[in-house]
Amino acid sequence: MNNTKGNKPEIEKWRLHVIYVLIAAVFAFYALRLFDVQVTNGDYYLAQSEDNRTSEINIQTERGIIMDRNGVVLARNVASYNVTITPADLPGDPTEEPLPGAIQEIYRELSPLIDIPVSNGVLNDETVKLFTPCYTDFGITEVVVIQDTNAPYTAVNVACDIDKETAMIISEKATDWPGVGIEIEPIREYPTGDMTSEVIGFLGPIPATLEDYYLEEGFVADRDKVGYAGVESTLNETLAGKNGKRVVEVDVAGKEIRNLEPPVDPVPGNNVKLTIDTRLQAATKAALIGEIEWWNRYFNTIRSSNGVAIAVNPKTGEVLAMVSYPTFENNRMAKYIPAYYYNQLLADPLTPLFNHAISAEHPPGSVFKLATAIGVLNEGVVTPTQSVTCPGKITITEKYSPNDPGSEREYVCYDDLGHGKVSFTRAVALSCDIYFYKVGGGYTGEVDEGLGIDRLAEYAKALGYGQVTGIELPGEAEGLIPTSAWKRINLSENWSTGDTYIAAMGQGYVLSTALQVVESAAIIANDGVYMQPTLVREVLDSDGNVIEPFTPEVKWDITKDPLITVFDENGIATEEKKTVAPWVIDLTQEGMRKVVADTEGTAHNYLDNIIINGKDIPVAGKTGTAEYCDNVAQEKGLCISGSWPTHSWFVGYAPYDDPEIAVVAFVYNGGEGASVAGPIARKIFEAYFELKAIDAGEQEVAEEIE
Amino acid sequence: MKRVIWRNFDFWLFGAAIFLSIFGIMMIQSAIAGNETLAQSVSRQPLFLAGGTVLMLIMAAIDYHYWSSLARFIYIFAISSLLVIYVVGQARFGSARWLDTGVILIQPSEIVKILMIMVLADYFAKNMDKPHDLKWVFQSFMMTFGVVIWILLQPNLSTSIVIMVIWFALLWICGIPLKYLLILGLVAIILIAAAFPLLEDYQRGRILNFIFPDPEASYGDTYNVEQALITIGSGGLMGQGYGQGTQVQLRFLKVRHTDFIFSAMAEEFGFVGTMAVMLLLVFVIWRCLVIGRTASDLYGSLLAYGYAAMLFFQTAVNIGVNLNVVPVSGLPLPFISYGGSSLLSSIVGIGLVESVSLRKGSIT
Repeated sequence: MNNTKGNKPEIEKWRLHVIYVLIAAVFAFYALRLFDVQVTNGDYYLAQSEDNRTSEINIQTERGIIMDRNGVVLARNVASYNVTITPADLPGDPTEEPLPGAIQEIYRELSPLIDIPVSNGVLNDETVKLFTPCYTDFGITEVVVIQDTNAPYTAVNVACDIDKETAMIISEKATDWPGVGIEIEPIREYPTGDMTSEVIGFLGPIPATLEDYYLEEGFVADRDKVGYAGVESTLNETLAGKNGKRVVEVDVAGKEIRNLEPPVDPVPGNNVKLTIDTRLQAATKAALIGEIEWWNRYFNTIRSSNGVAIAVNPKTGEVLAMVSYPTFENNRMAKYIPAYYYNQLLADPLTPLFNHAISAEHPPGSVFKLATAIGVLNEGVVTPTQSVTCPGKITITEKYSPNDPGSEREYVCYDDLGHGKVSFTRAVALSCDIYFYKVGGGYTGEVDEGLGIDRLAEYAKALGYGQVTGIELPGEAEGLIPTSAWKRINLSENWSTGDTYIAAMGQGYVLSTALQVVESAAIIANDGVYMQPTLVREVLDSDGNVIEPFTPEVKWDITKDPLITVFDENGIATEEKKTVAPWVIDLTQEGMRKVVADTEGTAHNYLDNIIINGKDIPVAGKTGTAEYCDNVAQEKGLCISGSWPTHSWFVGYAPYDDPEIAVVAFVYNGGEGASVAGPIARKIFEAYFELKAIDAGEQEVAEEIE
Repeated sequence: MKRVIWRNFDFWLFGAAIFLSIFGIMMIQSAIAGNETLAQSVSRQPLFLAGGTVLMLIMAAIDYHYWSSLARFIYIFAISSLLVIYVVGQARFGSARWLDTGVILIQPSEIVKILMIMVLADYFAKNMDKPHDLKWVFQSFMMTFGVVIWILLQPNLSTSIVIMVIWFALLWICGIPLKYLLILGLVAIILIAAAFPLLEDYQRGRILNFIFPDPEASYGDTYNVEQALITIGSGGLMGQGYGQGTQVQLRFLKVRHTDFIFSAMAEEFGFVGTMAVMLLLVFVIWRCLVIGRTASDLYGSLLAYGYAAMLFFQTAVNIGVNLNVVPVSGLPLPFISYGGSSLLSSIVGIGLVESVSLRKGSIT
């Protein structure tokens, strides 16, 4: 039986052909597309799939610790405990509503321990975008839900910096609370806090401007910290160490499958032993602050708002103590830098973040006469025995050029009765202003030709003024040693004879840092050898082996290295350079000794007769009462002509015959050098030699009661 | 009635379909990628294949002309099976598509696809002599839509479209005049424009996402297709090897055992392997078209053409989605994607076409 009804002619052939063409076209297109995706762009997509499955895990290294010269820890890492939850490990789905009973139970028990509510806040695009673990108002539930959508296999911090006991309780419970854990995060701690903060500094987050550099070095932004001040900043590379790295394969949920590359272990940072002696630092700080506060109380006003005291070893360049007052509490920056505290420090007119010891430039006043003294002897302006009259007051012609008729000006000594006949060492001991005016600027009849500014500048620079010392601290200032050329370039004015007179005694344009002042005395104490000032005694590896032992470094020797440019008779610099004769330094030392030892010496009442354990400690030094008129003084209306406010300076060293310590004390607006800065220096010397006796195990000698 | 000539059984078609199904089971095994809940349900696929193969042989043995005489009954059965799930159906993944038979979960809409091929082939064969006017078009449309509406309401847009495509393919084969085609095209555009606001949010989102990719949306909406492309591309020329594709095994590729199994395959077998599978699918479609051409009557032809149209459309859309040239739709890749009902309807459809093949030609 044939079914005629189903004959194909009823179906038009072309309609079938259209279908064939359609099928062929679609699959040809797919074949091309497949070829394009898999073969032509295969590498591109392969790279993306590699990117999907590989995850680089940065393993945090440990920052080196900082110790003082005796091994007392000044900066270390302590554990901070964070409570973490890994959403994928919780017993159930943490995004379910209501929460599974087992999870609810964990949250409810955990909540009072860490003082974070079980649930708080509303999850929406806005709040989730602002979410940062540790700094959130969200409850536990919300934090876990956010983490579950981001990376369920990675732990999230739900509570940060909890106390150790709570951390112990929680880690004990961890077996009953799957998904809950304790993470230990290293935090920098400074056991000595604000006693050493000006030297140690503090850490902060990687700054945005340097982020590229640090990321290149393997640091992780938002986790790793870098030094922001003090040696934490300058020694950052030594201390930081190198983070480790693991390249792992992860699945879509972020779960680690295996290592793709051999893991690179982190290299811990090196430890650093500073030259600081914490005990001396404490004594120095106490001496400085005690003196400042005593005078402030005495005048019943905040007369002095800042000050500096530094102790160095002139033979090695080691900085034994460095105090800048006021300073800050670096422990408050340990976990993060609190904005309110930082802003408060920044806004403080006393600039506690500023290291006054190395960054503040002040007129050195009479302590600068040491540079003048060495210059006049070495240049033969006067002979050591040559006497110069000090009538208490002289009149000198202020000239801007040799042919300028000039105007008469009066220059006074601090003692208006005068000092009579004064020779070199006595001039240093008395700090006789008239003597230094005459030898510095010349005085017809007595000193025909003075030292002059350009030659003075040479000697000042040889004593370390006018340039950074290169100590391992950020933000060191250069100070200023003017020359005639400098004045013409910067002030468009000729150097006048009067400028020389006041420059010779460290006033006028001369500016220096406290560190420069102590170094000038250290050079003299060390017979002209300038030791590189340093804060670093040793660098040790993380196991405590010394990898960079202490080696004192000679910066220069003014008796051997030709540093002093020779000027011809017209005052033009020649190619020739010369050294300082050792006898000049000897005589300057003698002068400095007389400052203390002679009954008429300026510091005699304050620094003589230091007896430690029955041993007399001979001190040599120089006082300085530097007139100033800065913004602060002007605002207060203190700049009255002829009686400007003064900073107190004292710089000195001891023992005179075999110097071990050079000290500078500076009190801003302190008044007289000897009576304000002198006692501070005395206390530092006393502390140093007492500590030395203790270290040497000397028996204490009962003090005689007079 | 024609005599059954088993020599006419298309072993190539049968072999290709079985090969693709077995390959599918193998591919699904790889695509589970350690997901335990998936592993349990996926182990049923071989059972569906075994049961389906038996059903296919039975279908082949039954003379397809019976279906012609039972057309009305089949039509009513199709609608009732769809209505039943509104009463006792199981809502899964947001839409009521499943019928729990006690032993297995069945998606009636998958079976209805085959039933509708039977019903529509009957309608067009019987009305071939009548004028191909608007009434002819409209009547067949209403007949189709009477079933499709229930699938659309589940909601299941993609299966609805598949059935409408079967209807349209038969309309085309049977000679719809080009002017009506034009009218139909216009009506379709208007309908789509009108229906767009009625779509579910996720459907609108998928279409908008495809037409206007949002450069901001790197995660979420475009994630699946983006990962599919990465998966396909990372396969390269020769593939990463069975069970070795990182995108699949580490689960970056989502819905990899169903909608995106093509991508999984592309990663593990590369361009060469994927082309082979694609050509095999084209081969199956082509065999169906050949059987349609050589069928002994129009009803047989239309059965084979209707099935070929369904197969082609599903294959084309699924691969298109994987290659990111078609908006995301939940159509499975015939024979290969996981899904019992889908495999069953594909395999049973092969049985139907084999039935036509067995009874072809007048040469005895």
